[in-house]
Amino acid sequence: MKSADFAYHRPGDIAEAVRHLQDYDGGARVLAGGQSLMPMMNMRLWRPDAVVDINGLTDLAELTAEGDETRIGALVRYSTLEFSPLVAERLPLLKAMVAFVGDRQVRNRGTIGGSLVQGDPTGEMPLGCLVLGATVSVLGPSGAHTIAMEDLYEGAYTATLAPDEVLTEVRVPPHPPHFAFRECCRRHNDFCVLSVAATGRMADDGRWRGLRIGLGGVNDTPVLAEASMALLEGSRLDDADIAAAGGAALRAIDPPDDIRGSAEYRAHLVPIYVARVLRDLRASAQAAAR
Amino acid sequence: MSAPRQSLIGAALPRKEDDRLLRGDGLFTDDVQLAHQLEMAVGRCPFPRAAIGAIDVAQARALADVRHILTGADVRAASEPLTVLRPVPGAPLLPYYALAGEEAIHEGQPVVSVVAASRAIAEDALELIDIDYEPLPHVTDTLGALADDAPVLHRETLPSNLLTSNVDRAGEPEARLAEAPVVVEGRFHVNRVSALPMEARGIVAHWRAGARTLEVHASTQTPHLIRQQLAECLPLDEGCIRVIASDVGGGFGMKLGLYPEDVLAVLHAMALRRPVKWIEDRLEFFRASTQAREAVHEVRIGAEADGRIVAITNQYTTDLGAWNSTYGSAQLSSVVFTGPYKVADAAVERRVALTNKTPIGAYRGYGQPEVNFALEVLIDRLARRLDVDPLELRRTNMLRPEDLPWTTPSRAVYDNGDYLKTLQMAADAVDYDAHRAVGRECHDDGRLTGIGFASFVERTGYASARFLAGRGSRFGAHESVVLRANRSGGIDLYTGVSTFGQGSETAFAQVCAEVFGIDYEAITIHAGDSGASPLNTGAFASRTLIAAAGAIREAADALRDKTLRIAAMVLQSTPDALEVHGRAVRVADEPGRTVSLADIFTRAIIGQGISEDEAPGLEAAAHFEPSHASFSFGTAAAVVSVDLESGEFDVERFVMAHDCGVVVNPPLVEGQVRGGLVQGLGAALAEELRYDASTGQLVSGSMLDYFAPTIMDVPPIDLLHTEIPSSITPFGVRGVGEVGTIPPAAAITNAVCDALADYGVEISTLPLTPERVWQALSAARNAREPR
Repeated sequence: MKSADFAYHRPGDIAEAVRHLQDYDGGARVLAGGQSLMPMMNMRLWRPDAVVDINGLTDLAELTAEGDETRIGALVRYSTLEFSPLVAERLPLLKAMVAFVGDRQVRNRGTIGGSLVQGDPTGEMPLGCLVLGATVSVLGPSGAHTIAMEDLYEGAYTATLAPDEVLTEVRVPPHPPHFAFRECCRRHNDFCVLSVAATGRMADDGRWRGLRIGLGGVNDTPVLAEASMALLEGSRLDDADIAAAGGAALRAIDPPDDIRGSAEYRAHLVPIYVARVLRDLRASAQAAAR
Repeated sequence: MSAPRQSLIGAALPRKEDDRLLRGDGLFTDDVQLAHQLEMAVGRCPFPRAAIGAIDVAQARALADVRHILTGADVRAASEPLTVLRPVPGAPLLPYYALAGEEAIHEGQPVVSVVAASRAIAEDALELIDIDYEPLPHVTDTLGALADDAPVLHRETLPSNLLTSNVDRAGEPEARLAEAPVVVEGRFHVNRVSALPMEARGIVAHWRAGARTLEVHASTQTPHLIRQQLAECLPLDEGCIRVIASDVGGGFGMKLGLYPEDVLAVLHAMALRRPVKWIEDRLEFFRASTQAREAVHEVRIGAEADGRIVAITNQYTTDLGAWNSTYGSAQLSSVVFTGPYKVADAAVERRVALTNKTPIGAYRGYGQPEVNFALEVLIDRLARRLDVDPLELRRTNMLRPEDLPWTTPSRAVYDNGDYLKTLQMAADAVDYDAHRAVGRECHDDGRLTGIGFASFVERTGYASARFLAGRGSRFGAHESVVLRANRSGGIDLYTGVSTFGQGSETAFAQVCAEVFGIDYEAITIHAGDSGASPLNTGAFASRTLIAAAGAIREAADALRDKTLRIAAMVLQSTPDALEVHGRAVRVADEPGRTVSLADIFTRAIIGQGISEDEAPGLEAAAHFEPSHASFSFGTAAAVVSVDLESGEFDVERFVMAHDCGVVVNPPLVEGQVRGGLVQGLGAALAEELRYDASTGQLVSGSMLDYFAPTIMDVPPIDLLHTEIPSSITPFGVRGVGEVGTIPPAAAITNAVCDALADYGVEISTLPLTPERVWQALSAARNAREPR
């Protein structure tokens, strides 16, 4: 478990990082927290020609409020999200979810940008950012552009960034008032069997608007349960609504069959977990109303 | 007259080991850095079975800083096959060399090894070695390996993959079963798991040819036995070999005896005349270090209508993997297959199957967790069949204090104890009666509550060297110690028992301080160095303290006698009027008349100022062999709540009522029991070394996919003890090292089945996962509602 040879670069600014990526023509990898990259390299499953270490680019580690939007630099660590008052106030779903990431050591080192680029289908950050409707900012040789979370992945562990692009920032729009998250794991904070996150707003008439439900671990990428979301638009989230939405969530899944659980069991759990999360959401609104 | 000192046996003294470990001053194998040291990496067979053709090492040899390469042919020319210390009784040996020859028979078997300036370069070189593999038909399923059409692993020695079978029996169990009004039976599948020590294996080998000295630092439980096996294997005179196990980061039975990589590191070191280090990484560990447990038990219990058990039979197949490791094949399932129950007619047949998987070795429990799962789950099924309370059924059949000592159908002898008492304690601790009164449906959210018990005995220690000789084991049942006074007024204690977290340094010092009368702090332990310690057996089989306490008592008595004789001369008194107090000897009736131990010890050591009759020196060695094994016992109880929809369950409480005889150090005992329970819970609920049947590949061979529990996964555990002194051991101690691994699987399975009793759910396979509960629920529902 020792990495094959590689060149190491520690650029002084983001443009230099992009130049290095360009120089290696797809053969270089960005090192942020290293929580996925280093094990993969040590197991020699990945053998990049070069590693471009962006840990010196401190301007990527900023966490700021910009009007309604919250901007999270790619180098912001999980533990920063976990303890940031700004995140607690503005992005409570992310705060709740980040506690499910790995262990203390992983959270001290791993970054949100690394997690989003890694694109693990069970990852908490990709799912949370998807449900919150975030976009990511990307810098490449031809300049900067943004990608909506819905468009960030073309498959498991496959972000749509070009090999010479760096994810620099996550922009999160205003957070709905109610949220809920549950995850089913084989052991504490393991890669999940499945996870469900939801956000929404209950209007004064008691009907839910803009409810979003995301599922992790049950497809190649985190997915929105769009059929369930459509069913629930304008509903009161009563038990029948919730049961219907749970069943409709199955339309979004194509679950894997692996040591953590069979595809059949994951499919069995999806409606159960969606229903639990929706009941949590409803309880959140009821508690707020009191 | 001074007040007698309070006994140190039973005192919660701080562990001798903790200070250095907590400060980061432990010395583990990878901490050993010798000048001119090189590093080794091992190339392993990627197939479950393959013929090995040409091996081309030319490119690897040409790589800069690559120093030495060994292939199977080199190893055959330079060494003998690895020897086995605990053969499978009645079975042929299946000799193997440190590297595969013409055929490799499990994934991960070493095929080539490379030494280079660094591990990274050695791994680069491995990638440049071209090995011509031809995959051959394989078999990984335990029972499948015994099918007529299964590919045979060891064709030259055996006609099939059945290595051996042996039967222990008493009475007429088949006749009793035939006439019994109620018979329950089940086939129980026990998962293959790993002992998973925090520190994997490792070795640093250093050969100084001119000195004819091979110094080996190894992460092992048995330095003296490694020395023996290295001498046999190289071959080399034992006198040339020194094996040092400083701190060992966990053993659990997995670090008993020699492994192929140990031989390889030594062969490289001897060829290069430079120190060679090999540190097993976690990926190798999962394929190269021995695995454990996997077995299928087919059990039948016959009972009268009143619940009295009249017969038990168990035919089990235990999976050995590819061959005998040093301690391969757990042997205690047959010893304790009737558990704590009074059954005269019973039979057990053990079949040992060979499969194309990593060899099985010893692991905490050594067959006892496996058979406990099968027996105790079936006991609960019997209770449901008879519609009697499972607690009551156990009570009816359990051996009573007056039945002990009891010779089991497999001719083990249980010493004294009170099994019923721990059963009742466990039941009371979980408020069993109150739970039964409330019923299973006590959760608002619809989850069902269940309670399960598992009662057990644990064999600790060995029933004499004669017993071991009868099983072909090539080690003794004794422990040994050397005590040496030092000029600071302390005692140096030398033991071959290496330190791997079990707390033996502390327990040994306590026993020594108790017998000698000296301060606990004045004793310094020197553990695990074959060059310094007396020849011994090693730390395994929950036997260390049982055997070592006797040796320490004898040596400490001898040292004390001489100390008091010299002190009597100095104090102008008589030895029987004196006592050791702290670091001094004093006249018991006149505590003011005192002389320091430093003074007495110095006189003895340099031979000055002692009587002319007295020989110089103050040192004592002792060997002690216990007369019998002792049996610890107890009952575990689990309270679970089960979600009917998802199959998810929570272990809300886990209680262990346990007796290990006289407790020398309560926190050590608690640590042993809790640690074992966590391993038992992990194996019961999550851990599994799963092999894909078609590819023969291990699919859970990393920490990513092997679900060892974290501290966050451990349910609340309550420990309760009785302390009934064993009638047959020094100080009345019983072993405690393995007990925690035994009852968790059965207790929790019984609790889940109890919660789901109305649905007729039966569970026979480990690990017990939520998915498995869901499957069992679905199967039970389908059986009740035929479509």
